[in-house]
Amino acid sequence: MTSSLRFSTLGTLKLPTQFTFLICGMISIILGILYVPLPFSFRLEKRLGKVFQLLPWRIAPPLIVFIVLIWAGAGRQIDVIGMLAQSLRLATPIGLGALAGILCERSGVINVAIEGMMLTAACTGFVAALYTQSIWLGLIIAVLSGGLTAALHAVLSIRFLVNQIISGMVLNILAIGITGFIRKAFIVDSPLPAPPVFPAWQIPVLSDLPLIGQVFFRNQPMEYALLILVPILHVLIFHTRWGLRTRAVGEHPQAADTLGVSVFKIRYINVIIAGLIAGLGGAWFSLETVGNFDDMMTEGKGFIALAAMIFGKWNPGGAFGGALLFGFADALQIKLQISGVQVPYQFLSMIPYLVTMIVLAGLIGRATPPAAEGVPFVKH
Amino acid sequence: MGKKLIKLIGLGLILLLVQGISQVNAANITKVGLVTDVGKINDGTFNESAYKGMMRAVQEFGLKSAFIETRQPTDYEKNIEQLISEGYEMIITVGFLVGDATKKMAQKYPNVKFAIVDFAYDPPVPNILGLIFAEDQAGFLAGSLAGLMTKSKIVGAVLGMEIPPVVRFRKGYEAGVKYVCPDCKVLAVYIDSFTDPARGKSAALSQIDEGADVIFGGGGTTGSGAILGAAQAGVWVIGVDQDEYMTTFKKGEAPGAKKLLSSAMKRVDNAVYGAVKAAVDGSFKGGTALFNAGNDGIGLAPFHEAETAIPDTVKAKLKEIADGLKAGKIKTGV
Repeated sequence: MTSSLRFSTLGTLKLPTQFTFLICGMISIILGILYVPLPFSFRLEKRLGKVFQLLPWRIAPPLIVFIVLIWAGAGRQIDVIGMLAQSLRLATPIGLGALAGILCERSGVINVAIEGMMLTAACTGFVAALYTQSIWLGLIIAVLSGGLTAALHAVLSIRFLVNQIISGMVLNILAIGITGFIRKAFIVDSPLPAPPVFPAWQIPVLSDLPLIGQVFFRNQPMEYALLILVPILHVLIFHTRWGLRTRAVGEHPQAADTLGVSVFKIRYINVIIAGLIAGLGGAWFSLETVGNFDDMMTEGKGFIALAAMIFGKWNPGGAFGGALLFGFADALQIKLQISGVQVPYQFLSMIPYLVTMIVLAGLIGRATPPAAEGVPFVKH
Repeated sequence: MGKKLIKLIGLGLILLLVQGISQVNAANITKVGLVTDVGKINDGTFNESAYKGMMRAVQEFGLKSAFIETRQPTDYEKNIEQLISEGYEMIITVGFLVGDATKKMAQKYPNVKFAIVDFAYDPPVPNILGLIFAEDQAGFLAGSLAGLMTKSKIVGAVLGMEIPPVVRFRKGYEAGVKYVCPDCKVLAVYIDSFTDPARGKSAALSQIDEGADVIFGGGGTTGSGAILGAAQAGVWVIGVDQDEYMTTFKKGEAPGAKKLLSSAMKRVDNAVYGAVKAAVDGSFKGGTALFNAGNDGIGLAPFHEAETAIPDTVKAKLKEIADGLKAGKIKTGV
């Protein structure tokens, strides 16, 4: 049997299925052996240093993706580039939500209200775009309303010391009610035509690169926003004074306070910026993807974002990887159904959550949340 | 002695039950309530359709009405019970997923009349009227239209959750495509939600990547998102349940409206109207009512802006198929 992986116009890669499996299996076994902690301390990784240590983490994910593709394409043809592009697209709201979660939780405030922030932003952004007939004004309103919802969460959990999970859940429920009302009052019977969704931007030169260009450089604005925000947040959190203070406040607020860092200020700023980013995620639904607002259209992506955040161990890069994993699983699930593979689609949709549980259980390195997360700070 | 007593009690119970049923059938109603599936009464698909049907009867017969929009599947029973506690004598529940809750409540309150969209009970419950549609025939018509309009000989379908009415839509659609175009390929995807337009669109775009040039969207706002996205990507689309030109495409105001060929309609409104009417004039009976091409329970919506783009030969063929389904000459095989 052969697997055909079609790369859009680039051509089709035809591989013998079983032989490829064999090769991939051998690579995995070799990698495994190299990293087995041998009794006589012959651990290659120790001898060869950090680059080598990280090697399996660099090789394993693409290898797994490749194996899955070969399996899915066995005896039929799979359009790889289209699927990878869809993965990134579906990963966008999850990734933006996860970044929002990281900003909040790194400063010690639990944020389960990402779902509500995105839903509110999706709704208000669409209403603004509808009545001003400008999608960019819609985006600005979406981002601001995400920030506003977050500010409410901040006031409740920082000023009034409300249990942060309860505050978040209340905001989620509030968002369902408010957006339902706004939809009924301003959207359903509006005679105005809905503005078209954000166009895809082709980055000159880069978009002509084979494979990479088609997946990464022919996207709509929110995808670019995610791709840009991931490295920016990484630098901000780990290489700036503000990032250091954020982490200090999240790990040990009393110590940070003693050293003259304003815990309240840092937390307010972080939570509100998180809301703005969640607002971008909300705009993805109504302004970039569907071009309409429907009740509960965020469909729990805000909660999956939390899973991606935990998967990425509260690091922007890791969370991006987590979001891609969820997006890939979803795109693959759709692709397999299209190509007629007889696997229950529910099974495939389940896999990312299983992986998250494995991560949570500490099998692939322990995921440790910031120490002061969820603990309200009271100044003595 | 003991056995006789039990038999007597049993007989008494049966008599009571019969008495109860006849009472249900005799009493006319003045108050009717509706409980939606997860979703709103203005969702642009079947909840809205059911609500419109109920309101038509309400206005015509001067009834009192109320509705509850369900937010969580766990709330179905609670919502039904709330309406009953406020004295509503007839409850309409919308959707296959509310089936179990409706049955439970119907058995608990045998004097209340129930009508449910998309569910048939076997054995029938005496105070529930199941309103069933021949989705396979509606899908068959949509599939025929898709099969006649495709140039690439590949057509797609984005469907909601894999539940019997949706499965019937899919199978009918596939059969319809094959009926007019035996060498056409059908790509179909189930999405495990009726309220996820973003993923619906994603599935539609994946199908377009694979060469599909007609997309059928069947499943709440998931399907609406799919056809909205596909129409804007420039391929033909077909809606479901209601005439989506009026709802999803906002009477032509939404971008892509000129790519909507038609919609595979289920006249949920007519069915609900009929059920309420029967309850009002005293002819209400538990059981199952089937709505199909034969009694105009299903059919294609007008072509609207696609009117000129659809060749007359296609329209003639569609008419022939619709007549065939009506007369029972064409079978969908579902």
